[in-house]
Amino acid sequence: MKNLFGALSVTTALALTTTVAMAEVKVGAIFDLTGGLNIYGIQQRNALDLAIADVNAAGGVNGEEVVVVGYDAQSELSKYTQFAQTAVLRDGISAMFAGLTSSSREAIRPIFREANIPYFYASLYEGGACDRQTFVTGSSASQQLSVLMDWAVKNYGPRVYIMAPDYNFGTISGHWIHEYAERNGAEVVGEDYLALSVTDYAPTIQKIQAANPDVVVALPVGAAQTGFLEQFAAAGLKDSIGVVSTNYGSGNQQVVVSPQAGEGLISAMGYFPSVESEANTAFKAAWEAEYGTDTPIVAGAVDVWNAVQLWAAAANQAGSTDTDAVIAALESGLSFEAPNGTVTLEPGSHHLRQDIYIARGNATNGFDIVETFADSAPSYENEMCNLIENPDLAEHFTPEG
Amino acid sequence: MFEKLHKSSGLVFPILATIAALAVSGSLDPYLAFVATSWIIFGLLGLSLDVIWGRVGLLSLAQTAFYGLGGYFGAVIAINMAPSFGMTLVWALPAAAVFGAITAAALGYIIFYSRMGALQSTILSYTFTLLLWSVTQTFKLDVGAATIGGDNGLSNIPGIILGFGAEASKLKPNGAFATVVAVSAAVYFFTYWLMRSNFGKIVDCIRIDIEKTELLGYDIRKIQVLNFAYSGAIAGIAGALFALWANYLNPSIFSVQEALMIPIYVLVGGLGTLAGPFLGAIVIGALSFWLGGGAAGGQTTLILGTILILLVLFLKNGFLGALNNLWMRYLPDPNEAARNAGAVKIDTEVLDSILTEATAQAGPAKNLITDEVFKQFGGVIPVNKVSRNFTPGKPYSLIGPNGAGKSSFLKTCVGIYRPEGGKILLGDDDITKAAIFDRVNKGMGVKNQKPQVFGDNTVLENLWIAAYARTKNGDAADVIAGRILGMLGMDGQRAVQASALSHGQQQWLDIGMVLCLAPRVVLLDEPAAGMTNEETRELSLLVRTLAKHTTVVVVEHDMEFVRTLEGHVTVLHQGKLFAEGNIETLRASDAVLDIYLGRGKHV
Amino acid sequence: MELDFLATVLLSSLSSASILLIATLGLAVVYGLMGVINLAHGEFLMVGAYSALTATQIGLPFFLAVPFAVAMTMLIGAIVELLIIKWLYGRIFDTMLATWGLGMVFNQGAVLLFGTVSPGIGMPQWNFKIGDFSLAVYPIAMIGVAAVMLIFVYFLMTKTVYGMKARASIQQPEMARAIGIDSARVNTLTFAIGCGLAGFAGAILVPIIPATPSMGLFFAVKGFLAVVVAGPVAVTGTAMTALGLGGGASVTASFMTSVIGDVFFFLITALLLWLYPKGISTKWRRKL
Repeated sequence: MKNLFGALSVTTALALTTTVAMAEVKVGAIFDLTGGLNIYGIQQRNALDLAIADVNAAGGVNGEEVVVVGYDAQSELSKYTQFAQTAVLRDGISAMFAGLTSSSREAIRPIFREANIPYFYASLYEGGACDRQTFVTGSSASQQLSVLMDWAVKNYGPRVYIMAPDYNFGTISGHWIHEYAERNGAEVVGEDYLALSVTDYAPTIQKIQAANPDVVVALPVGAAQTGFLEQFAAAGLKDSIGVVSTNYGSGNQQVVVSPQAGEGLISAMGYFPSVESEANTAFKAAWEAEYGTDTPIVAGAVDVWNAVQLWAAAANQAGSTDTDAVIAALESGLSFEAPNGTVTLEPGSHHLRQDIYIARGNATNGFDIVETFADSAPSYENEMCNLIENPDLAEHFTPEG
Repeated sequence: MFEKLHKSSGLVFPILATIAALAVSGSLDPYLAFVATSWIIFGLLGLSLDVIWGRVGLLSLAQTAFYGLGGYFGAVIAINMAPSFGMTLVWALPAAAVFGAITAAALGYIIFYSRMGALQSTILSYTFTLLLWSVTQTFKLDVGAATIGGDNGLSNIPGIILGFGAEASKLKPNGAFATVVAVSAAVYFFTYWLMRSNFGKIVDCIRIDIEKTELLGYDIRKIQVLNFAYSGAIAGIAGALFALWANYLNPSIFSVQEALMIPIYVLVGGLGTLAGPFLGAIVIGALSFWLGGGAAGGQTTLILGTILILLVLFLKNGFLGALNNLWMRYLPDPNEAARNAGAVKIDTEVLDSILTEATAQAGPAKNLITDEVFKQFGGVIPVNKVSRNFTPGKPYSLIGPNGAGKSSFLKTCVGIYRPEGGKILLGDDDITKAAIFDRVNKGMGVKNQKPQVFGDNTVLENLWIAAYARTKNGDAADVIAGRILGMLGMDGQRAVQASALSHGQQQWLDIGMVLCLAPRVVLLDEPAAGMTNEETRELSLLVRTLAKHTTVVVVEHDMEFVRTLEGHVTVLHQGKLFAEGNIETLRASDAVLDIYLGRGKHV
Repeated sequence: MELDFLATVLLSSLSSASILLIATLGLAVVYGLMGVINLAHGEFLMVGAYSALTATQIGLPFFLAVPFAVAMTMLIGAIVELLIIKWLYGRIFDTMLATWGLGMVFNQGAVLLFGTVSPGIGMPQWNFKIGDFSLAVYPIAMIGVAAVMLIFVYFLMTKTVYGMKARASIQQPEMARAIGIDSARVNTLTFAIGCGLAGFAGAILVPIIPATPSMGLFFAVKGFLAVVVAGPVAVTGTAMTALGLGGGASVTASFMTSVIGDVFFFLITALLLWLYPKGISTKWRRKL
């Protein structure tokens, strides 16, 4: 409730101030505020509004006020396409912040390429996006898994089982799990890729037990797949088998999961609310003042915050919002103190070097950070995608070839 | 004057709309042109559903499947051909249409040839879409320059390019909008023409009363499959246009939410109106676009849902349907003539000449022979080894107490029931296992107990569709229908809707339709039911005349009527032949009286 | 292959089939008996789940939260019937459209009222072993729950006076009224019962399927398939299809992948529809 009123009031405030200000810069925002994906979308939009307010409070971009033209994609792909073109053709935006799923990104990426407008994709994903106009502040699967698998094998053991959703995010993550497991001398003893519509986890749990692993890498999609975690815990398997994830908590699943099931689950992401830093304290204070404390902040929200800050910094550095100048600034190795630590935009791959945190679920539906891997590089993206040398690249790289 | 406008409103208003759309296409804001293009495409997809749902009566939830498949197929070809040859429409559209049509035909074959129930058919089509959705999430394939990447979709689909050659560039939003409007209009007008053609008339009859349509001899399954294939082609074209618009396709096109949106477009616009889906798509599209832009505090789905509920409660059959109802209130009532009708009077001379002509064209009357025909339902045996040879000359009457199996015997001869044993011959042909329409085509004419007429159609149209079934020629059908109409003395009601006729008049119309078929064997199930004394007399005259030229078997309860027929009488009892003779001897027979009055040893 | 794996698979597949049946029984009553296609059925499940959640949050123990959920959904179901459904009897497609709209409203309403994530009710941590395999007790207990639910509905509809009135009102509303049955009231009650069954399912399944605003969609798919394939003998038929399709899909998923399990579900549905064009129970002689 509060989130929406908050969004509305911020937007109204911005709209009102617009009529007073002289010059302004427009940015576009397309997120899923309604429909099944709104768990992420609402927070992404809230983060954007907060970040824009923050930028404006610090003087705006090159002295100009930043105004948001926002859209609700209603969890529908064709709406992403519609609103993206509208933002380009009608609204005259200087930058776009949009998308949650890879398919939403792939649908609109070419539009911004053609229009030559910087586009920021701020969500964790399977990795591999490579396009001159596209900048990714979400963590990539290889970035998270390289760190996580090292830790998991060391702490749990060499027998790994993969439970992932049956689409690109899951299958590509699976590839990386194989690679990093082998790198650590571990073995993947079994894998199960689940249809997105599944509610019946009994088959998976049986297969896990038959394979007898030391640790399960579980990638539940959305709050609904927390059923797996409940059943796993209820069957008493948590005592003997560890559970690690790269997206558990990305949609506040830890709120839904009961304390008995959630305690001890490991997640490796780019941000947790319990990250201790000055930047995070300030960030959380601003967030809570605006949106309350009902719902914990998800990593995707911080990704959007980071995207906005980076864009504003680049535009200020370049002295203009002209795309080529901004891109040049973005490719100059920008870095700043984000709520989730120091983040650096990699010039070649347009992805973010950032800290990856390993957190353990606690008994109060929250996370405690157990280890921090500073400055984790998006190695796969850096390897495949160098837009400074090859600025014409426009591809989505996937490791299976 | 307005009546004519109303009749051609499906043509006039869409023409105006198309002209208007093309006229503004140049001056529209580019972003609006872009977004509106997708609305038109969704409208086209809605049209594909209306063709099968509004016209045939099957709610297909597979339209998005054909749309997606057509889209993928057309896109793959366009990706490969466009760089060298340009003109993406030529590559994408025909391929998509063909692929959509073939898929729909295959699915239609399963649905219509197994004679599935309505809801089961819908669920099967739904299941097909679900299957596609499950399987395409991880389906990866490289076809030339096109990469289908599972959930990451198919990217780099070119836009709408009208020029030829490698240098041709894609159209700007305004040009694309105009092109899509032109293509959609072309498809719409072709569909409009098709649904008004003879094919379309048969389709309408299938929707109104599928059993009656089959009883006229139409192979309903084939027609349904053809119609479904056509709807698949339209959906495929829409899919290709969508691919060229979005430049990106993804398995979410097969999702449940997408599949359920199409019936909503159709219902909002008006089911069966053909133009309604476009209106519905534009209304819903515009609404959700406007709401998604931040109007109403972003409660898009809440508002959309509420509007749907209100729409359903207050508008019967969508916008166009409600508009139509309103308009019709101000038009003269075509059914007025029905109220002023007198009793039907048969012109036996005309009937005789019609029947003689029919014999000349369709061949001599045929015998109907049943040989030990046996039908069982669990413990009940309504037809128990009945053997009989029915010949032309005099009418045969089948009588017997309730539950004797008279109607069941007739239904078995017609094909509504399939016998477990025995044989049925029509002339020289063994029709025991033949489909109903097959039997009708071989010369069987049937009139069931309840009058079966196409209520929405006029009297003349009813007769015409029956005549067309036999002649397959529109002009010849006109002639025959006109003559039968005159013979029945119903000239004054030619433009009256069949549903407005009285019960007795509908019975006559039903009989007239049977006569249009020039049947060689006529089966009548209680034709005198609900008729006045005067009408019964006319009916008796008709049946006797008919029996001179064809074989006639009548199931009846009315003994007086049976007596006036002056024909053979067969008594059935508990599914078996019980007695034969003429009405006088049977009336005096103790055995027959026993079974009718339920007394004594024969019961 | 070991015996304990097989036993585990069979037992948990039976449990999956039971869960599907629990979620679908309300739909069988509303569609099978009333001929109403309630596309908002999944949302009533969601309302039941959230009602149970709210009840536990205000301090009620779980076994009281479930009846609370049933009461809530029956109440809301009755209101929906009075305001919307009753005007649309016989207009099957209009009911579809209206209930689809209703589903959207409920969905967004839940987001506004409860937010996008709410703390769930954990599964009781009881488990037992079959050989080397450990199974959680709660999902297995659903087998018993489904059986009780089935028997309850069957008896309610066939052995009680209400049940007779309900079936009469549906089949011949005017005739029923002519002999003194208030068919309008009875129909309201029947629809409410169907929604109450959905609410029960949502509540009792919360430990297994956590409450989220969009949870209804999962059941929209398989539930409808099960009910329509079942055919005219709605309740017993749905029990069979839930067992065959749901159980079969689960077994398939256990030996292969979950996508193949889904494909199994859909392919067998298609096959059954082709073989039994009006539903598998077309020739059955049972009443319900």
